[in-house]
Amino acid sequence: MSTAAIKVSAPPPELERIPLVENQRSPGWITDKVAGVIEGKTPVWWWCAFIPSLMLVTMLVAMILYLVTTGVGVWGLNHPVMWGWAIINFVWWIGIGHAGTLISAVLFLLRQRWRTSINRAAEAMTIFAVMCAGIYPVIHVGRVWFAWWLFPLPNSNSIWPQFRSPLMWDVFAVSTYFTVSLMFWYVGLIPDLAILRDRSTTKARQFIYGLFALGWTGSNRHWSNYEKAYLILAGLATPLVLSVHSTVSLDFSVSQLPGWHTTIFPPYFVAGAIYSGFGMVLTLMVPLRKMLKLEEIVTMRHIDLMCKVTLATGSIVGYAYIMEYFIAWYSGNPYERFTFWSRLFGKYWYGGWAMLVFNAVVPQVFWSKKVRHNLVAVFIVSILANIGMWFERFVIVVGSLYQDFVPGNWGYYKPTWVDVCTFLGTFGLFFTMFLLFIRFLPLIATSEVKGVTPQADPHHPLGGAKGKEVLHHAG
Amino acid sequence: MSTLSHSGGLPPLDLSRWSKVPGLLIGAGVVLCLIGALLNLKQFGYSWLLAFMFYLSLVLGSAFLVMMHHLFDASWSVGIRRFCEHLACLAFPWMAILFLPIALLAPKIYPWMSLDPAQDHDLAAKWPLFTKPGFYLAAVLCFGAWALFTSRLRYWSLKQDEDGAARCTYKLRFHSSWGIAAFAFTLTLAAIMWMKALQHQWFSTMYGVYYFAGSVWVALATAYAIAMILDRQGLIRDIMGAEQYYFLGSLMFAFTVFSAYIHFSQYFVIWNANMPEETFWYVLREKGSWFAVGLVLIFGHFLVPFLALLRINVKLMFKFMLPLCAWIGLMQYVDLSFNIMPVLHPNGVALQWVWLDAGCLALMGGVLAKVFVRDLNRHPAYPVKDPRLAEAMGLYPEVPKAMAEEELTQTGKLSGAQPHSRGGGR
Repeated sequence: MSTAAIKVSAPPPELERIPLVENQRSPGWITDKVAGVIEGKTPVWWWCAFIPSLMLVTMLVAMILYLVTTGVGVWGLNHPVMWGWAIINFVWWIGIGHAGTLISAVLFLLRQRWRTSINRAAEAMTIFAVMCAGIYPVIHVGRVWFAWWLFPLPNSNSIWPQFRSPLMWDVFAVSTYFTVSLMFWYVGLIPDLAILRDRSTTKARQFIYGLFALGWTGSNRHWSNYEKAYLILAGLATPLVLSVHSTVSLDFSVSQLPGWHTTIFPPYFVAGAIYSGFGMVLTLMVPLRKMLKLEEIVTMRHIDLMCKVTLATGSIVGYAYIMEYFIAWYSGNPYERFTFWSRLFGKYWYGGWAMLVFNAVVPQVFWSKKVRHNLVAVFIVSILANIGMWFERFVIVVGSLYQDFVPGNWGYYKPTWVDVCTFLGTFGLFFTMFLLFIRFLPLIATSEVKGVTPQADPHHPLGGAKGKEVLHHAG
Repeated sequence: MSTLSHSGGLPPLDLSRWSKVPGLLIGAGVVLCLIGALLNLKQFGYSWLLAFMFYLSLVLGSAFLVMMHHLFDASWSVGIRRFCEHLACLAFPWMAILFLPIALLAPKIYPWMSLDPAQDHDLAAKWPLFTKPGFYLAAVLCFGAWALFTSRLRYWSLKQDEDGAARCTYKLRFHSSWGIAAFAFTLTLAAIMWMKALQHQWFSTMYGVYYFAGSVWVALATAYAIAMILDRQGLIRDIMGAEQYYFLGSLMFAFTVFSAYIHFSQYFVIWNANMPEETFWYVLREKGSWFAVGLVLIFGHFLVPFLALLRINVKLMFKFMLPLCAWIGLMQYVDLSFNIMPVLHPNGVALQWVWLDAGCLALMGGVLAKVFVRDLNRHPAYPVKDPRLAEAMGLYPEVPKAMAEEELTQTGKLSGAQPHSRGGGR
């Protein structure tokens, strides 16, 4: 050990970090760039995406009306698979909604400054994904007009919710998650809404943005209150990242069904949700940064880090798969062993292989920096991640239900056209909401991005630091 | 090149009077272990296994911290990296040597080794893993993997000290990348073969994660305590700032919650499904004084550190954090005891054998402490050419100003701010 004076060199050039905002852009430039997306002319590609999305929403409404007026028999549900695409899609959309809160709350508490360029879009994505997810349990109850019985409200028949059912836990977990995510998103938007208000060229815009900006002036007092509120909301939202999908996993794991009952389900579902959530963020941000010319704000460093999180969570999911197969063997339980054998070689073998390959094997390509920096490859992997995660839920739900303990009870499940159209309709809802969001609200958290630029750091040479804090290159 | 001298602060501790402690621990441990082994060999085997799994959790948790540093290209953990490497390197040969009594006493410790697979379906189903060759091969596999990745990580880390070449960083990342996969599987295998196998009929997919959570938790607490001491001695003072201690404290908090989440999830899923082939494991641990130990874990393992670490400023108060780190170590030991000891003492905690538990703990602790201090004295206390060293110290490279004239004017107003005291890594 040595106590000699420390000699510090700059890192080798190939190891230098890419700045979080490239080309030393100023705060004014960042505001112009982000606000320009909203203030500029609506691009053609936006209409090309918005109109089909809106048509899909119409189809969703039609499918729901058809379901409600006819009954859940229009879906492919039948004995023994009484949970089909509705639950699969519910879990899948909830999973997509996980990255937003992870990026906005968990990474905020861990002071991961790279989150600032992507948190706003991810939070919006969370809210829209949870909206899509929330549709399914409500319409799945059959008599939709009694859905309010899920809440513990007194009624004339003294009917109270069955609190021992994990489906009831879902109601509270998901509604809490949605509420906190919405509040978190809105609070973060306030300073940026004020920017849009102040830049408005029409009275109507000024009024609407001003209304939602809640009189924000940017005073020290406002910032102080804002920072406190943001921190408290981050603290509240962080446990929700774990709790929501853990609760969803309990829908399955508290049962005794082979393939459902396994102790690793809560963390495995959370990891899977973050994996699919980051997959969707990448799917959206990779083309958006190009189309909206935001490459200097959503840099390759952001893409690289998101790929690393995808790799980490995909590997955790892979570990959970291996543990499931291992313990099915280790337990010596013939039903468990049969279920897991059927996942790979049964009637739905394609689902079992899709989930293994797309979720555990494919993300391993992100070990390569070349792949992480190849946007086409990143985009393809992000799509495969979401396909893989959909198949994971398919395998869990259908794969465990269609062949349970008694062979006489076995059956085969296939979705109907209503299942398919309803699922496509939720995509329409998701993209309609997201496209409206990028057109009318700031896609990037402008004030937060400014805060992570070197110019905003008084210890950085570009922020005005001189003397001992400035490290000179050895060369 | 910028040169910094140490900032002032509290005077270094006089550690000379502590230098004999490892030797004393070894001496006392040897005597107690010998007496224990003569009195009750089976009890000695269990006490030894408990101490071994405790130190193994610390060693593996430290290896995890080192690999995470490289994989996520972190800067805040530069200050703790070197001594975490030393802790990780205790895995081989020292932990392997300390495993020998377990290997020798395995037929006494593990009931399955005395059973006939033809008469026991649960055992027959686990063939060939649950055979004597399977048990010893698993141990060889675990120690082989740990030896390989811990030694490679320290080797390239020390190489990096010489010239700071990027090649060393890439090598460290490479060994961390395969090492983390090897770590996950060998840690799980060790937890299953050496702890879960005490009741071979029981199974839980969560068990590897359970052991992992406790391992990282105790490694973080140990890293915090060692960092405090090295900081006080002036060895890593310029690298460990408030932010670095905050991150360590935050991770301790996160793993407090994560451990509780894992414990609760495992319990809750098993309790809810209520299947006899799973519940018997917990039923045993609700008998006699084990029920009280369960309560100690709920409050001591989770609630106390959770409440203690909630506030930001507490994470920076050394006088508060040192006892808390010791408490975390104690709770990890109690948790492992809750896993291991009910098999031997199903009616409650065997207080009459606590001295033997302490003896095993002292002997292993003494040996490992001696090796650790030796390694610490041999090498620089921190990685002196880590590419993120400057960042950890709150230093920034000189940047050529490439902004437009009007943009520069906007930022010029920010230059009057006060510089920060220490630290500043991301």
